[in-house]
Amino acid sequence: MTPTADIPLKEPVISAAASDAEQLERARIDASTRVPVLMFYASAMVWLLIGTLLAGFVSFKLHSPDWLSDVSFLTWGRLRPVHMNVMVYGWASMAAMGTAIWLMARLCRTTLRHPLLIVAGIWFWNIGVLIGVIGILMGYSTGYDWLEFPPYAAVVLFVAYALIMSWAVLMFRFRRGDQIYITQWYLLGAFLWFPWLYAAAQAMLFVVPVQGVMQAAVGWWYANNLLFLWLGAIALGTAYYMIPKVIGRPVYSYHLATIGFWTYALFSSWTGMQRLVDGPFPAWMITASIAATILTIIPVATVGLNHHMTMQGYFPVMRYSPTLRFTVFGAMSYTVFSIIGILISLRSTARYLHFTEASIAYSHLGLYAFFTMVMFGSMYYTVPRLVGREWRYATLIKLHFWASAYGVGLMSLMLLVGGFAQGATQDDPSMSFIQSVASALPYLRGRTVAALLLTISHFIFAFHFGLMLFGLGRTSTVPTFLNPVDAEGSETHL
Amino acid sequence: MKGLVPLFLGVFGTFAFSWVGLTVIPNLQIGALNPQMDEEGTDIYPAPKSGMADRGRRIYAANGCIYCHSQQIRPGYAYADVDRLRDAGPSPRPKWAERRSAPRDYIFDRPVVLGQERMGPDLSNIGKRAPTEEEKPAVPPGANPPAASPAAAQPPPSTNSAPPKPPNANAPAAPAGSPPPPAGSSSAPPTNAAPPKPGAGAPPQSASPPAPPAGSSPAPSAAAANPSPAPSASPNPNGMPPVYSAAWHHRHLYSPRSMSPDNRDSTMPAYKFLYEKHQIGAERSADALQLTGADAPPTGWEIVPTYDASCLVAYLMSLDQSHPLKEVKTAEGAAPPAASPPAVPAGSPAPPPAGSPPPAPPKK
Repeated sequence: MTPTADIPLKEPVISAAASDAEQLERARIDASTRVPVLMFYASAMVWLLIGTLLAGFVSFKLHSPDWLSDVSFLTWGRLRPVHMNVMVYGWASMAAMGTAIWLMARLCRTTLRHPLLIVAGIWFWNIGVLIGVIGILMGYSTGYDWLEFPPYAAVVLFVAYALIMSWAVLMFRFRRGDQIYITQWYLLGAFLWFPWLYAAAQAMLFVVPVQGVMQAAVGWWYANNLLFLWLGAIALGTAYYMIPKVIGRPVYSYHLATIGFWTYALFSSWTGMQRLVDGPFPAWMITASIAATILTIIPVATVGLNHHMTMQGYFPVMRYSPTLRFTVFGAMSYTVFSIIGILISLRSTARYLHFTEASIAYSHLGLYAFFTMVMFGSMYYTVPRLVGREWRYATLIKLHFWASAYGVGLMSLMLLVGGFAQGATQDDPSMSFIQSVASALPYLRGRTVAALLLTISHFIFAFHFGLMLFGLGRTSTVPTFLNPVDAEGSETHL
Repeated sequence: MKGLVPLFLGVFGTFAFSWVGLTVIPNLQIGALNPQMDEEGTDIYPAPKSGMADRGRRIYAANGCIYCHSQQIRPGYAYADVDRLRDAGPSPRPKWAERRSAPRDYIFDRPVVLGQERMGPDLSNIGKRAPTEEEKPAVPPGANPPAASPAAAQPPPSTNSAPPKPPNANAPAAPAGSPPPPAGSSSAPPTNAAPPKPGAGAPPQSASPPAPPAGSSPAPSAAAANPSPAPSASPNPNGMPPVYSAAWHHRHLYSPRSMSPDNRDSTMPAYKFLYEKHQIGAERSADALQLTGADAPPTGWEIVPTYDASCLVAYLMSLDQSHPLKEVKTAEGAAPPAASPPAVPAGSPAPPPAGSPPPAPPKK
């Protein structure tokens, strides 16, 4: 593979002319984040593999309920929350924090101070997740969605978070240059929203518990905001960094980005109650959330348009750059995820889709197709810079991408269609209830196939990541391209 | 964007807006509801659950029942919830509900288990469907409201006979304080009742209680119909316990797909780990499961529920939202579309001003 020199697949045009001093500074910043960020990624990867195996169990057991059902800690009803919490707090949050800290250091143009404190925080976080997982398996789940960890695990997580994020936020104090880039808005928002969100939910559910159905309202408010304001915000911020960086072109419009950010913060934080549509709540709460969900079309449109216009003319770069391919897939999924979110939250469709597997499809579109794919993209970008090696096998990256993309696509399709079959049967009172279960069963089996694909994809990635971690990557100054770059072909595209 | 200050303010402001709007304000509106009662201060609904049932809810939550079973009935004008009939049951099959759920139905629930999916049926009223002790075959779907329904699942006498005191004191006092059947006493006996198998003093013990209820324990609901000691309750064609009785629930939890041929597609896991296999002692345990076919234990052995299982079933048997609420129309006269906003914060006349939140459900 002999790629030509000028193809700006790695560094933006501006930095192509960057002085040696800047390159050196960048390398120094990367070096300061090396240990904590790699530790975040390594932990996240372990949780990802655990969560993936659990997902397979959960998916399989849902249509074959007698498999391994006689042991209390292997019962479906405990494995499911463990899978979810491992993915949300183990994989997603840790990957997000790793990427966020790296981005923050890069964008503040300052080295990360006290990386060892962050390392301690990572250990605490891992311990917190582990305690929570064991708690659920032992039968101490709290029974609140996304908050099943027993409260004592939450305390550990909180301490860990304080250790980690106080320094990430403090990087702002030492930043150089007075322009705050779009990515930093999202990251700063996420850093501040998460502790508030988590503390508010814990306080309202466990410390001073609210009464009756308000617990469910707080629970869904928390779950949706965690998805949007914590994980989603970091993923969007990452996309805003990676896409311009890889293609070497500034973001299309700062103005659009501002609109997108503030409407995102405003509207997506008001969603959540649509998951309780026509439940025992004042109607205004649910209507407000449905309205907010519809209004999220504004951030979706502006962010989507902005990314699209930035990418305009550069889409062929996705043939070569793994980062770009994953990130753009994730950014596009953000649009799909939001539009499906709007569609399934309307009262007229909720009639057929509420209380069905469709809501699981929605969660996976958000957490996987959007968030996780962006994270994969960012890891393909950062890890080589942290370990000083390039990804070894382009084939593995391609396999990873296609297995993930087809896996999550198949899963969403199965769950949406299966959810509709299930919900339409339930909407017809002349059909017996068990018919609705039977109508969903084939799709649930299809979902297991999708889970298998995702398992393959994650093990491939973990293997590849392990190679990098142990210094077995390629020593080269040229990043790994997915396809060999042939000079004339790529240059005409660019 | 320049400057951190506007960014900080915006980040805090947007989130504070959502926090106040979606949790604080609704909490003011529906976060301090009191039980409803009639003018004399009787007929209180809802009441806190007994100790066993309360513990059962935790088991329900901890074992993930919430991921497949909802406990909320949506209004009849847009959804089939109210019209839907249960799959199992005697020939006029029971309906899922007579009315939609309202915030007041859940004021003592912690954790609240509204559920998010229906891979299994809604359970809001599953306890109401229990046959009463003397093999009343089914609750006639029409004759539910105040009279019949509380008798089915709740420990009725105390709630009704409680002296008309100021309601706020009354609500918690009725079930927790009054000695006879409810909470206070209920947690103790089942502990003894769980391992009664050696049967040393069994004859007098298990023989005397079955007079009014059936089971071996005076616990309010778990005992509602436990067919083994009271053979009068069991006569069902194929050896099945009466549908939605405690024994039925136990068997269903133990072996969900054995209940009927229609149930083959059920995706419910078996909760065998909530049951223990014992060698039969002097005589068969009162609460041993009646199992047939492949599930049946070898002769000389029996399957008995653990205390957790008994609590879980006590909880299921206590689920009943059939009591009418003033703010919700009951189904008989087709609910008008305007019936939607269920929350009438201070509207209902009986409860006192909602200053003092009702006490948390009693633990143990």
